[in-house]
Amino acid sequence: MLSNGMISRRDMLKSSGTGLGVLGLAGLLADEAKSAPASANPLAPKVAHFPAKAKHVIHLFMNGGPSQVDTFDPKPELTKQHGKQPGAAGKATERKTGPLYKSPFTFKKYGQSGIEVSEIFPEIGSCIDDICVVRSMHTNIPNHEPGLLLMTCGNTQPIRPSMGSWLTYGLGTENQNLPGFVVMCPGKPVVGPALWNNSFLPGVFQGCHIQNLDPKKVIEHIRNTSVSATTQREQLDLLNQLNGLHKDKRGSDDQLESRIQSLEIAYRMQTDAQEAFDVAREPLKVRDAYGKGYFADACLTARRLVERGVRMVQIFYGSGQPWDDHGDLEKGHRNKAKDSDKAVAALLRDLKQQGLLDETLVLWGGEFGRTPTSEGASGRDHNNHGFSVWMAGGGIKGGMAYGSTDEFGFAAVDKKVHIHDLHATILHLMGIDHEKLTYRYSGRDFRLTDVAGNVVKDILA
Amino acid sequence: MLRIALVVSLLAPSLALAADPTPLDAKKVEFFETKIRPVLVEQCYKCHSEEAAKEKKLKGGFKLDTRTGLLSGGETGAAMVPGKVAAGTLLSSLKYEGELKMPPKGKLPDAVIKDFEKWIADGAVDPRTGEIAKAVGIDIEKGKQFWSFVPPKEPVVPVSREPKASVTPIDAFISAKWTEKGLKPVAQADKRTLIRRAYYDLTGLPPSAEAVDTFLADKSPDAFAKVIDTLLASPQYGEKWARHWLDVARYAEDQAHTFGVKPKTQAWRYRDWVIAAFNADMPYDQFVKLQIAGDMMSDAPGDAFTKFAGLGFLGLGAEYYKNTARDQAIAEELDDRVDTLTRGFMGITVACARCHDHKFDPIPTKDYYSIAGIYMGTNMSDAALGSPAELKAYQTAQADLKKADDTFKKMQTELRAKKDSWPVRVAKLLAMKDAAENSAKIKKDMPAAPSVAHVISGNGPGMKIYIRGNPATKGEDAPKGFLQVLPSPTPSGANYTRLDLANAVASKDNPLTARVIVNRVWAWHFGRGLVNTPSNFGKLGDKPSHPELLDWLAVNFVKNGWSMKWLHKQIMTATTYQFESKPDLENDKIDAANVYLWRGTRKRLEIEDWRDSLLAVSGNLDPKAGGPTFNLNDANAKRRTVYARVSRHELDGLLRLFDFPDANVTADKRTVTTVPQQQLFALNSAFMVSQAQAFAKRVETMGTTDEARVTAAYRVAYGRVPEKAELDLALRFLKLPLSAEDKLTRWQQYAQVLLASNELLYVD
Repeated sequence: MLSNGMISRRDMLKSSGTGLGVLGLAGLLADEAKSAPASANPLAPKVAHFPAKAKHVIHLFMNGGPSQVDTFDPKPELTKQHGKQPGAAGKATERKTGPLYKSPFTFKKYGQSGIEVSEIFPEIGSCIDDICVVRSMHTNIPNHEPGLLLMTCGNTQPIRPSMGSWLTYGLGTENQNLPGFVVMCPGKPVVGPALWNNSFLPGVFQGCHIQNLDPKKVIEHIRNTSVSATTQREQLDLLNQLNGLHKDKRGSDDQLESRIQSLEIAYRMQTDAQEAFDVAREPLKVRDAYGKGYFADACLTARRLVERGVRMVQIFYGSGQPWDDHGDLEKGHRNKAKDSDKAVAALLRDLKQQGLLDETLVLWGGEFGRTPTSEGASGRDHNNHGFSVWMAGGGIKGGMAYGSTDEFGFAAVDKKVHIHDLHATILHLMGIDHEKLTYRYSGRDFRLTDVAGNVVKDILA
Repeated sequence: MLRIALVVSLLAPSLALAADPTPLDAKKVEFFETKIRPVLVEQCYKCHSEEAAKEKKLKGGFKLDTRTGLLSGGETGAAMVPGKVAAGTLLSSLKYEGELKMPPKGKLPDAVIKDFEKWIADGAVDPRTGEIAKAVGIDIEKGKQFWSFVPPKEPVVPVSREPKASVTPIDAFISAKWTEKGLKPVAQADKRTLIRRAYYDLTGLPPSAEAVDTFLADKSPDAFAKVIDTLLASPQYGEKWARHWLDVARYAEDQAHTFGVKPKTQAWRYRDWVIAAFNADMPYDQFVKLQIAGDMMSDAPGDAFTKFAGLGFLGLGAEYYKNTARDQAIAEELDDRVDTLTRGFMGITVACARCHDHKFDPIPTKDYYSIAGIYMGTNMSDAALGSPAELKAYQTAQADLKKADDTFKKMQTELRAKKDSWPVRVAKLLAMKDAAENSAKIKKDMPAAPSVAHVISGNGPGMKIYIRGNPATKGEDAPKGFLQVLPSPTPSGANYTRLDLANAVASKDNPLTARVIVNRVWAWHFGRGLVNTPSNFGKLGDKPSHPELLDWLAVNFVKNGWSMKWLHKQIMTATTYQFESKPDLENDKIDAANVYLWRGTRKRLEIEDWRDSLLAVSGNLDPKAGGPTFNLNDANAKRRTVYARVSRHELDGLLRLFDFPDANVTADKRTVTTVPQQQLFALNSAFMVSQAQAFAKRVETMGTTDEARVTAAYRVAYGRVPEKAELDLALRFLKLPLSAEDKLTRWQQYAQVLLASNELLYVD
């Protein structure tokens, strides 16, 4: 029984429309010798390994690498020792850096938890009681390309499926009229499509990259521009009849049947997808809360998509590597924070208000952090030794700061969390045992977490 | 019995200690029992014990549930040496000092770690007994007995009692299985179905209405054989079959990365080389050798194109960003080569042995590095294909251009500095203008870039094993050479080259090479291989459904000069190839997957064939062969899809949507998915609309009435005339009134429906 209107509305938005049943995860796990029958819809929702806390992931990817000591990891000692050499705490990064360089920003305690957040994120700060900041992240290489790949695909070289591909492969998606894995970026991040690629997984698990948020252009060929809607229906009816005659002559054949079904879904997708991406349908109050610009619209779109059952949404903050402030970090970080703070906070509040935050895991962060030492006069270099990400919703403990970096914020020292651990934790929240989500390829079973990864249990609600 | 040296060296200390007769000190035993054993059981056994091994949870090849196991160490080497706290990985990993940190879930209390330190310092007394159940290491001789490593022998062709299929040796082998399994083959496909199947299988294009008419009219017994011969002789054959091989070769024209790699502007020459090789029916062993070591073969063909362009097989392989973690990047490049080469040519997953001995097949880690070492330090370079004069002219012009540009820049800088007096500046300005004109002229007359093939050249010096695949931890030498489980005409060692490797892979004595390719060809015809894992003939691969047939094909393929065209004809003239693809209730109960080939296989066209068919049916197909690639996004692109650009960085949307494999890795078969985005292409894409318009126009000239035109459209698109129900539906649709927003006529709309149909997408 439906207890409130919201659930029924959301169920309605998620209309799966395939008539195909739920498949067990085990049933899908591929085997080189046995390929799944062509008729089985690989994106049909599947049962997880264990009850999931989260059903969707929204990854707000601050590509370029935001600086931890200027955002979510305050370091009084860094301020005190400003201008001095880091000594033993210094670490090799991509370039040579100078002395310790204090944050140009002040930090303030927020919420009941009193976690300190930089002045550049007052709105996100006000949501801190829903957020768990992981301050002890570390990654392998202080370079964008391998860093981005490790964060998105769990491997520093570009020949592995991305997390969104693994998730849709493992869990399918709840709305067959929309892509299961949506990537939004105005232009392309560095590396580009390899960050959302399916690699050896079937092509249907590739992220659907959306550059232009105009609902008429979001998905390739989503709109028919040559005939009226009525005429297209007539065309499709004729096509169905001809395909029906063709099939009847050939006895039963699942692949012919599934293409006939797929044509009908495509027909519906034309209207459903355009509707889902149309943020203009939101009340003015909601739109105002998110603010203006691509990133704000993308955040609002993300909410509309998870509401409709999309499994994973990944938003790259911008084209190229916008957070990569090697110089004039103060201005650079301030501007980007100003441009995104309101939208991110609005997304968290909106999800919460819609009752979606409990089932949606929001991840914010870059591919690495930045040095507490200076590069040039006013910048910071890449830093793989320590950085911060934060998560909210989807089974994460709110109002928590987990792990820590050294006194200057250079390297993670306490309760270190590697990217593999982060991935293992995300999969865990989605109901997946990261060691069991495998795909046999080239003679062995591959995983998102390679041969590593430990679930960070302490941050689970 | 051969065991690899690494294993022996690891076992040596434990064997010595096992024989140590010193009685154990009771106090030390007590210390072990109270302080050490409980920790081992609680914290370590889960991943490092015989029990863990049984449950396939053993990590790092390290068992510490026996004294022998603990002393033997694992993949990272010795775990500990009694009395020496500084040696081995056990203590350092407990202390979380190095890369290896144990237990992974969190560091143990300092007191516990101190206990371990004391225990080791005191001689690591350990009363536990029991040998490691099975020593690590690979028994190569035993490995050679696995079916795929046993050289194929020509089996006796069985005598078939099956009346429908005793025509060819293939039928005899296949029908023997029907008898065994209780299957009854379905009827032969009709001639229309058969010619369509043959056209798609060999050329990737539909037969013209005229070709169908000719075949139907030909009542001679060899009518079908004649069709096969015609198709094999057509240039479209190479275009179709090269594409199959290009999947295996993970052919692409760029890199997944965006940084720092010299663009391969003539990558397409490798594609053209493969097409030419198929069309010329190049013997497969030569096809293999030229792709590994064409530059080194003394008996290679004289022309530079044939000799060098095949080297693109690895010459176009992965190149990674080497600015940081350079050694790791190089290791990844080597892995791409070893993987593509061994799986591609031999169906064996050597790359599994990169970090540890292969867990299932007789491939020690050392073998991986023996092959990798051949490629360690080879160069990705360009081989000139044109005449020296062509090259010289281009280089001279390039040098002239540089000189002119430099002059221009120099003057520009001087002028900007504003140091000279006005008259001097005016003179310089005039000279600068001349320089600019000169440079423009050189550019205008610049000869085309000389033809080159992107190749891999040189021979590596060999390398050491990377323990656990980590370039930072080098192990013993892995002399260059071939896999120990397979024969090599030349012995391994410092002089082993790519040519030796090529000869070993393409040898008729290699038990894998011929089997793997005949199986691939079989799979590309039937949609399923006799071994259903075409790139994995190892223990985890599929077992052959018809082992004798596989061997018969392999042996006779070699006997017939490694001829692909011979192989196609053997397969296609067999009755087995010619069944209709209808289901059968009784047979389905026994073999619904049609492993035993009692019916034909309905296949969805691969994207290349479908797009090419749409162009062919609409009359738009441009048959131009070879040369630089075109972009599929170009609305006017009308060439065959095999000539389209293939990118590792960003695969074209249409290709990706229709299951084209990721060109970063070798692909043995294509998955077939059916998703709505594909249908959006059929319903809404500009390409589809444009073909519909052309098709409607083409049909318009083929008749004067709608009925005649519909009939013509069916003949062109499907090679048959419409049935009454189909004709009625068409005529009714064509009479519907148009909507105000319609930009297409009813005929164009109808043409689009025919093009989007299942009948055009699936071939029976």
